[in-house]
Amino acid sequence: MKQSLEGRIEQLKLKNATETMNIFGRLLVDNREMSLWEHDTKTLSWGVRRWRRKALKFAREYIRPLAPQADLHPHDYDPQPILAAAARHGFQTLLLVPPLGTASILPYCRGTAFQVAVVGEEFATECGGLALLLLAHNLGIVPLLLSGSLRNIIGQLVPFYLKSYILGRPACMAFAITEPGAGSDVEETEGGAKAKLVTTAKYDPKKKGYVLNGRKCFISDGAKADKVTVYAKLEDEGIESWTCFLVEKGMPGFSVGRSERKMGQRASDASELIFDNVFVPKKNVVGKLRSGWANNRNVLNYSRPVVGAMALGHGRGAFERCLEFCRKTNLGPKRLIEYQDVQLELADMAISLWAARSMIWHSCKQFRCYQSGSASAKVFASDTAFKVCNQAMELMGDHGYLHSHGVERAWRDSRLTQIYEGTNQINRLALFEHHLSTDFNPALD
Amino acid sequence: MDKEPVSGICAVDVMHYQDLARQYAKKSLLPIFQGEYSDGNLSLLPEKLNTAFDIGIAATPDESLAGCQYGIWGGALDETGIMPSALLLSVIAETCGGVAMCLHAQGVASNLLLGAKRKLPFVPVRVALCLQEGFYPPFIGTVISPDQDAPAKITTTAVQTNKHYIMNGSKSFVYSMNDVDAYIVFALVNGTWGCFIVNAYENGVEMMDVGVRTGLRACRVEHVKFNNLKIPLEARIDDGDARELVIRALNLNWTGMAAIAAGIAKGASAAARRYAAERYQGGKQIEEHPAVKMLIAGAEASVASAEAALFALQDGNLGSLKHLKKTAAAKLSVMELCSRAVTDCLQIFGGYGYMEDYGMEKRLRDVTVLKSASGSPTYLKQFIFDIEKEGVL
Repeated sequence: MKQSLEGRIEQLKLKNATETMNIFGRLLVDNREMSLWEHDTKTLSWGVRRWRRKALKFAREYIRPLAPQADLHPHDYDPQPILAAAARHGFQTLLLVPPLGTASILPYCRGTAFQVAVVGEEFATECGGLALLLLAHNLGIVPLLLSGSLRNIIGQLVPFYLKSYILGRPACMAFAITEPGAGSDVEETEGGAKAKLVTTAKYDPKKKGYVLNGRKCFISDGAKADKVTVYAKLEDEGIESWTCFLVEKGMPGFSVGRSERKMGQRASDASELIFDNVFVPKKNVVGKLRSGWANNRNVLNYSRPVVGAMALGHGRGAFERCLEFCRKTNLGPKRLIEYQDVQLELADMAISLWAARSMIWHSCKQFRCYQSGSASAKVFASDTAFKVCNQAMELMGDHGYLHSHGVERAWRDSRLTQIYEGTNQINRLALFEHHLSTDFNPALD
Repeated sequence: MDKEPVSGICAVDVMHYQDLARQYAKKSLLPIFQGEYSDGNLSLLPEKLNTAFDIGIAATPDESLAGCQYGIWGGALDETGIMPSALLLSVIAETCGGVAMCLHAQGVASNLLLGAKRKLPFVPVRVALCLQEGFYPPFIGTVISPDQDAPAKITTTAVQTNKHYIMNGSKSFVYSMNDVDAYIVFALVNGTWGCFIVNAYENGVEMMDVGVRTGLRACRVEHVKFNNLKIPLEARIDDGDARELVIRALNLNWTGMAAIAAGIAKGASAAARRYAAERYQGGKQIEEHPAVKMLIAGAEASVASAEAALFALQDGNLGSLKHLKKTAAAKLSVMELCSRAVTDCLQIFGGYGYMEDYGMEKRLRDVTVLKSASGSPTYLKQFIFDIEKEGVL
């Protein structure tokens, strides 16, 4: 019997064509109808899958409604409710496992940063600024964990975590390395050796502590943080003496200076921190004296995949909102999404995001994050995200640059991920440095 | 290139136009950016735009004003070619893309009126062009036949009665200076294109601002609605079919936008060079770092290519489809080159590039808006392909 063209097309679709196969052949065809997101989620272990679903729900419920206003008027919204909600849901204590934290135990042993990365993507999909507000806090905590000092972990981190998760009282931490004259220098070995740093710590034998002087700039959550992990060189020494100090809000001499006016990620502040004879007791020294440089570089190894995941989230946010636009908008008699050139572009965006996600998940699916993997994932994901955001804006024509659609916000947010946590140029050098003796050694035959 | 003579215009003229624009940018526009404003202090803008009319940079249909002939896209355009206006826009855009867009939008609409060479029902000073509907300008099929779904027909209609036309419909993304006196509206009249001058203050004309935008914030963007608007018969400015005017409007629009993008990228690359010579990292000026050298060199090469593509449009016939294909290709490639150049230049500034103080993020926002505005890359590719396919050349 002769069939119509539509009927033949329908018959040739894999799902229907599978019916012609025998039972064993059919078993090997995956015909499950599920979204891109669901497909990826199904590949995760139970513990991480749970956090991914939880983060998606939280992002839609808490971040989405707040995002447009927090971006437009960053000084007029109150961040405390969302910080409190995130703390209550356990998102602020994901860097330790129960009973001290909330991360799922088995996945944590296989990849300490993985759960934070998965959550970061979901948050950033809705809003880059609010995602940074919630995640920069983890960046402030990592130096304490990586110091390997039980004194720091038990004395500082545990009370902080309990207050946050059990009592649901929002607490926030920040990480301060960048100085006005040293941005890239504090993220790269050769630059570090020549860096001109101004923040110094002088030992006070009478009070048994250190006196901090200097300035840090572009500190995410700097104005909101209750505690800041600050890196300073010891007096009359170079960056080799860099030591990490835990500075608390309210310490005399510690103040917040200018908050920068940024192009994107505006819901989170980037502030200048001023240290004017700030006395820091010895118990607030994080790890060993002079271990700050190693600690800082390792913090970056753990944070870069998360930054990559946030970038991925910005790209995904732009993609999802663009997709929504293409579904709803007509061009002539047809929906935009029904045109094949539009389908090709959307598919290209989805493929790029998939590739970036694969790389990020691969880079942090081990207990210790390593320099080249983290740097590569961050570079690839941030470049990909910016590209995808541009594609989304272009596909929407003049609508792309309107704030109301949320795509241009994702575009602005994504641009920062190519800069912070080391510019992408610095990150490329990090990959090279890591494998200098194995792959890139000029003397190697 | 500014020392080489080009067809239709000599080197002295080129330098004169550039000097004029530089003086305007320096004396009038730079003060807008004093203080903490990401897009300049826009409350000062009306005064600065008035200056543009006074010194003859802004074109206008009003022949009593200085810019009528030699302002941006003024009446002398067919005699001088696109070069003078493109240069003026480019130099102004080095300082502010948004102001350049204001002057450009004013110029395009003025040029259509000045070319009409007929007595108008009234002579406006500030004008804006209403061509686009939905989120793209008309595709080539619609340019040829506005009543065909190719893929989207024109829905703004003007129906002739005894004494006037009745206009209904809406136009989107109309770029203008603030407070325009008149709109130049393209509408469907008996299956063909018609072009009308519409008094902005008439009952039945409704404007709606598009809201917060990424960039080009000095320029107003609005949607305009026409509800049973009565237009006198003499307000129609074409001779029975305005298709050639549509083509001319698209040509001018895309050429000007490409010139603005080239100017923004040129400004960004100059700023990046200056910064690279001042900023120290790793114990030396950052211009000594290979990564920075590569970014600057790439940006400068992109700007040179963009200018070459732009100035190759000098001798075209603005009313022809053949030239429109070249212009569409120029907009497509110039936007790509310039946006890449600007983002690379921003990268040189590191974290400072992302902050509003250095003006780099504004340049990136502006150039990105230009890329999507009035013909995105997706649309332009389709347009370029369809011109040949439709067999209209």
